[in-house]
Amino acid sequence: MIPPETTSKEPKEMSAAEERSQQAEAAPDLAAMGEQRKGHGVKVRDLHAYYGAVHAVRGVDIDFPANEVTAIIGPSGCGKSTMVRCINRMHEEIPGARSEGSVTLDELDVYGAGVDVTAVRRMIGMVFQKPNPFPTMSIFDNVAAGLRLSGTKSDNLRERVHRALRAVGLWGEVKNRLNSPGIGLSGGQQQRLCIARAVAVEPEVILMDEPASALDPIATLKVEELIDELKSRYTIVIVTHNMQQAARVAKSTVFMLDGEVVEHDETTKLFTRPADERTERYVTGKFG
Amino acid sequence: MRGTLMLATGVALVPLILVIYYLLYKGLSSWSGSFFSTDPTGNFFGNPGGIRSAIFGTLEIVALASLLAIPIGIAVALYLTEYGKEGWFANLVRYFVDVMTGVPSVVFGLFIYIVLVISHAGGSGFAGWKGALALALLMLPIVIRSSEVVLLLVPGSLREAALALGAPRWRIVWRVVLPTARSGLVTGSLLAVARGMGETAPLLFTVSLATAATANLNGLMNSLPLQIYTDITSPRDVIVARAWGAALTLVALVLILNVIARLISRRSSMA
Amino acid sequence: MQETRHQFREDLKELERQVLGGLDLVISQLDRALESVSYQDVELAAMVVADDDRIDGRYLEVHQGILSLLARQSPVATDLRIVAALLHCIRCIERMGDQCVNIAKLVPLSGHDAPKDKDTLDAIERMGQLARSEVSQAKDALSTRNVELAQDLVRQDAEINRLNRAIFKRAVEIGDDLELREWGMFMILVARCLERVGDNAVEIAEQVVFVVTGLFREMADIGASAETARSS
Repeated sequence: MIPPETTSKEPKEMSAAEERSQQAEAAPDLAAMGEQRKGHGVKVRDLHAYYGAVHAVRGVDIDFPANEVTAIIGPSGCGKSTMVRCINRMHEEIPGARSEGSVTLDELDVYGAGVDVTAVRRMIGMVFQKPNPFPTMSIFDNVAAGLRLSGTKSDNLRERVHRALRAVGLWGEVKNRLNSPGIGLSGGQQQRLCIARAVAVEPEVILMDEPASALDPIATLKVEELIDELKSRYTIVIVTHNMQQAARVAKSTVFMLDGEVVEHDETTKLFTRPADERTERYVTGKFG
Repeated sequence: MRGTLMLATGVALVPLILVIYYLLYKGLSSWSGSFFSTDPTGNFFGNPGGIRSAIFGTLEIVALASLLAIPIGIAVALYLTEYGKEGWFANLVRYFVDVMTGVPSVVFGLFIYIVLVISHAGGSGFAGWKGALALALLMLPIVIRSSEVVLLLVPGSLREAALALGAPRWRIVWRVVLPTARSGLVTGSLLAVARGMGETAPLLFTVSLATAATANLNGLMNSLPLQIYTDITSPRDVIVARAWGAALTLVALVLILNVIARLISRRSSMA
Repeated sequence: MQETRHQFREDLKELERQVLGGLDLVISQLDRALESVSYQDVELAAMVVADDDRIDGRYLEVHQGILSLLARQSPVATDLRIVAALLHCIRCIERMGDQCVNIAKLVPLSGHDAPKDKDTLDAIERMGQLARSEVSQAKDALSTRNVELAQDLVRQDAEINRLNRAIFKRAVEIGDDLELREWGMFMILVARCLERVGDNAVEIAEQVVFVVTGLFREMADIGASAETARSS
């Protein structure tokens, strides 16, 4: 479905000020979300995850520092998505799946007794590979969905939705059609809408499971630029099978193989001088 | 090959066309203003009256049956898709539902007859609400089946997205799953209603027959299928004609429901 | 099972072959340049100057090949270090070629039948042999990825530097004869060119160490004794 044209046949030149404000609206603007806040780090210790009898994640220890982007790379089936889904306790929603070990958000043990799962997921948001805006909801409602679904009472819903849209750089593109259906946007816009939805809830951590793999290259770059902006407010973990993306976006990278962490280092070092032979073979494409 | 298939199509179409033709031919002539505005008098001689009470009766009974069958049916379907999933109990339920769809409608009528009518439950013998119950039992598995199919069509990714936002399961069902499946659920329910409208046997043993239009569900009521049943064997031609008219009315009602169901599903797929 | 990225590996190997071939060209240029100095062979010198085009051409080929590989293949880890090293090495090769040309250009200028000083000539010959052996050893170190061989180059280079200083001193003390003094100055220039060739060979050796270890260390400060490890 083609989104309606927002400008009619007017002369092409805009004033310099208009152009600048249009560009400003297109760029992600995290400052719109309010005053600076420090993020929180996540520590994973001795994590094991199972699908029935299959031991998918075997004793993983990782630190995800606050306000940094950490990438997880590895071949298909190495357990990276599973491991990440254990962080926000989505793994246990799969029938027959279970996990052991500890995941702490600062001091809070996410698997602790008496911890409310839905509260955990409000603090640790997630963006999926295929954009999944709610089809029956408008753009506005989609972003507000995070707040409404989680039951957070908020007096300034409108403001929060607008802020989230500004934060992901969608504001300029959708401000005139907030009530049109969310699925009427392009793939890249839909994904940014999903990110706005996650951000509106103001989580501490955002997990991204191959967020750009279903997008075209330009949309991918926009999402990556957005991730770079987002890290100033949130801790970000991104699973990707695109090594160049990990290299562009992440400060440190984890390489996983067969459910274990093989190497975890600063991204530049991992891609210029990997310490482990297996990492070397994977990143240079000698197996994959 | 093509010839054979065309032949089969023809064989199937011919009786359908004949039915419609006969309905129109025999029934249209009895349609009139008084046909729809007067009750059948029940007299053997004289003016036989119209079918007003039958129409009212059908509408009332089916409305009650729908009120029972549709919410419960959708709830069961929700249980099966959201909570039960592949569990042993859910599969058991599915098995029973499948069996129920195959039960002849007369059995439901008999069941209610034995349990509620003979025992004069609720202070009456035959009663409209008991007929509605029998119809509800008939409609229930249809609603469950079609609703489950529609609910399963809701992409799992939507549920995942809602879960990841920190939504409790009931809210996911209420605000995401149901709205997304809404048009499919409506269509399925309307089709179940159309089915229930036309059933004769359950009403035979539970509501029996009346002539006056009544809103009292705790007593005898008229209904279109029963009116047709009794009228068609009458020696008087004009009463037989009335039966045809009633049959045509019934088919018209079912048709209207079908058209509404189509319109709803078409509008929703035009997102 | 065929290795993945087969074409990429082939392209990388080809680039390396071209670089090693460039080193062969340098060696042959050096040999002829030195011969033309020893025998005052102006024609040979002219050939050396003309043939530098081959080295320049090789430089452009390798440079283009590397750009193409970077654009198309996104090399990482060891592959990336090899590519960076090859770019560095082909630059050194081009410079070494230029030094050979400089030597050759000095031949007609230093005059026919000029008086010669035996000590200086011996020193120049010795320098030439060392330079040649350094380039040859650099080539071996690169093609075999041999770190010890690379680090050994520094030892030879120290000797070249010593000889360079000795020739300079000799030219200063060579005597009052004008023609002899003039010749001596030209020999200083030749020595300087040879010393630069040696330095370039050492740079290539540094790149070999970088490819193997991932660490870049300036070897000039290391000297003949055990290297001082600099924090990376």
